[in-house]
Amino acid sequence: MAVTAYILVKSNTSEADRVKSTIESLDGVTGTDIVAGDVDFIAKVSVDSPGAVKDIVAGGIQPIDGVETTQTYIAMA
Amino acid sequence: MRFTIIGAGRVGLRTARVLREEGHEVTLVERDAETAARARERSFEVIEGDGSREQVLREAGVETADAVGALTSDLNANFAACLIGKGHGCRTVLRIDEDYREGIYQQYADEVDEIVYPERLGAIGARNALLGGSIQAIADVAQSLQILLITITDGSPMRGYTLSEVALPSEARILAFGKADSPLGIPLPDDSLEAGDRVAVLAEFSELAEVRQLLVGDEPATAVAGGE
Repeated sequence: MAVTAYILVKSNTSEADRVKSTIESLDGVTGTDIVAGDVDFIAKVSVDSPGAVKDIVAGGIQPIDGVETTQTYIAMA
Repeated sequence: MRFTIIGAGRVGLRTARVLREEGHEVTLVERDAETAARARERSFEVIEGDGSREQVLREAGVETADAVGALTSDLNANFAACLIGKGHGCRTVLRIDEDYREGIYQQYADEVDEIVYPERLGAIGARNALLGGSIQAIADVAQSLQILLITITDGSPMRGYTLSEVALPSEARILAFGKADSPLGIPLPDDSLEAGDRVAVLAEFSELAEVRQLLVGDEPATAVAGGE
């Protein structure tokens, strides 16, 4: 079962390029944009299971230096 | 000039007041009815509505405005207002809420001409107040560049000399000069420096100590604490 999710990332660093490319290098991440507004990045992930989404967020994105908080939205349709 | 200011709170209303005092035409956009009413009591033209919507900004005259100041505490609304303003050919100014975002918006937000971080400007003011003395930091222009307003004292080494005789460090420039009881104006080479006169100087942080030594002398040593 394929799962698509959007991860909203708030950072606390102005090194946006570094954070963006680190997120994009993670397996399962299909794209990342730097966005204006309350959050700084939105990443799209496409993986096999909801558990894999959690692994990317907890194991891949949150440990990146300069990442403060994340919000995850699983796509339904 | 004509300005559309989004947000009639602390930052927006003060900005509107300063612009009006200088003879400019200002229309405010405010979402909150009470805040809008307070601005109207001060005789401002206020459009009540969401400043991130094009229709509301049109009502506020964005089509004929020279510049848009997106000064609410809501970053999303500010950015949307700048996008709309840019679409109408306005100069755009965006207020940010956290300082790390300054660099990000400078690099990526092509629709935003200028970024303001009110807390940073407040910090410069607070620092000046705490340090006192004859040097005031007016603005951090860039990471390593600052504008200082220096008051000539009795102890200034350059007192009695003319501006053309002041040998500033290579990268420093005198931007403006004012006699003790006159406003600042264009500096002329023959202007002479007397106690109480003021000189606005643009200088690199690395040269601030030298500028201070030249124009102020040894007092007050802590007033040039430049940088972040």
